[in-house]
Amino acid sequence: MSAIVAHEITQRFGSDVALDAVDLALDEGEHLAVLGDNGAGKTTLLRILATAARPTSGQLAIFGLDAVRERKALRAQIGYVAHAPGLYPALSAAENLEFFCSLHDVDRKRVPEALALVGLSDVARRPAGRLSRGEQQRLAIGRAVLHSPRLLVLDEPDASLDSDGPDLLASVMRGRSVVLATHDHALANRLCQRTVMLRNGRSLGAGTRLRVVR
Amino acid sequence: MTRSIAVAYAVARKDLTSEWRTRELVPALGQFVVLALVIANFGFQIDSQNATVIAPGVLWLALVFAGLVAFGRAFAAEREQASLEAMLLTPASAAAIFAGKAIAAALLLIACEAVLLPALALMFGTPFNAELVAAVLIATVGMAALGCLFAAMVARVRSREVLLPLLTLPLWIPFIVAGGQAVQVAMGASGSYNQAVALLIDFDILFVVLTSLAARFVLDD
Repeated sequence: MSAIVAHEITQRFGSDVALDAVDLALDEGEHLAVLGDNGAGKTTLLRILATAARPTSGQLAIFGLDAVRERKALRAQIGYVAHAPGLYPALSAAENLEFFCSLHDVDRKRVPEALALVGLSDVARRPAGRLSRGEQQRLAIGRAVLHSPRLLVLDEPDASLDSDGPDLLASVMRGRSVVLATHDHALANRLCQRTVMLRNGRSLGAGTRLRVVR
Repeated sequence: MTRSIAVAYAVARKDLTSEWRTRELVPALGQFVVLALVIANFGFQIDSQNATVIAPGVLWLALVFAGLVAFGRAFAAEREQASLEAMLLTPASAAAIFAGKAIAAALLLIACEAVLLPALALMFGTPFNAELVAAVLIATVGMAALGCLFAAMVARVRSREVLLPLLTLPLWIPFIVAGGQAVQVAMGASGSYNQAVALLIDFDILFVVLTSLAARFVLDD
């Protein structure tokens, strides 16, 4: 089954074209890296895949559901790590995750598991605002997998992570479909089976195994 | 329904816990309303004859501006922390998230009213009674619903500090008119308290329903 089928996804902001008719497909369980320079359209593409933004035109199906019309249903199946960690600084690491358990309607027993997965068990009671940038990023990754999503959308998740970062990412990506944006080609090669390169909102082509729909 | 209540409760609890730990808003709002009363006390020649005429106007002015700050912060903080998107990318309904934010902001404004109303009675020598408190609390419900909706709407624009009052104040006028009348009567002026409060409750129901319906379109874009 396809995790993602995107057909001619276009995103315009006024007269600026951030994404220009991008096609891509991802099978369930596959890991795809999106590469490109700053401003290439990686974040725009990932926000659309995470249902955080609606494309100006084009069709996007995730797990067979229309990602615009049925985005509410899809959100239980998608985990998204954005550029900014988006945490509540006054709440502890555990409280941040417990709050998102309430929103996802997930048992709070998942919180210690998620904290252990991202290596934050020792700082579970520390306010998120007092965590280092790398720990905040780990917490954001922990939040993204809290509800056991089938699809992970990771926007430069390696930013601020220490040398254990790739191992952490490998463990959270295991068994899931993943779209990962990064500048780090070595990381993309290590974690992903396929890559796609974006420049000025256009897909320039793909790594050896990318399946372009068109 | 139970799920929506659980989400609204979680969001409100999270906002109130954050405020309790940071004490960012309520102390500042408390100081603001006391200062507003002090300035009004010096600005107007208050005596026992005119206190009940002037005090309701001063109360609503202080409350309106404190409300604008409280409701504006409700969503501005989420935008600054980039946490609103994370919340909206869950299966929780936008209306429940909005309700939680509005409840928390309303409770923070009520904390501010707990300073404002006794201080008003102390400085202006006006009555402090259950009717006065009830009128202000009832008005706070509808004002919170409208204030939070517009705060959510403008949170993503740069000139939100200017836009929020421009959008919110005209729609708060019914609360100020009916609430002003109820407060005047509660302070001893002639008129129908019940009629004014019934009008406030009507406005509350109308705006709570309308903002709950609109929240989905404002938040979930």
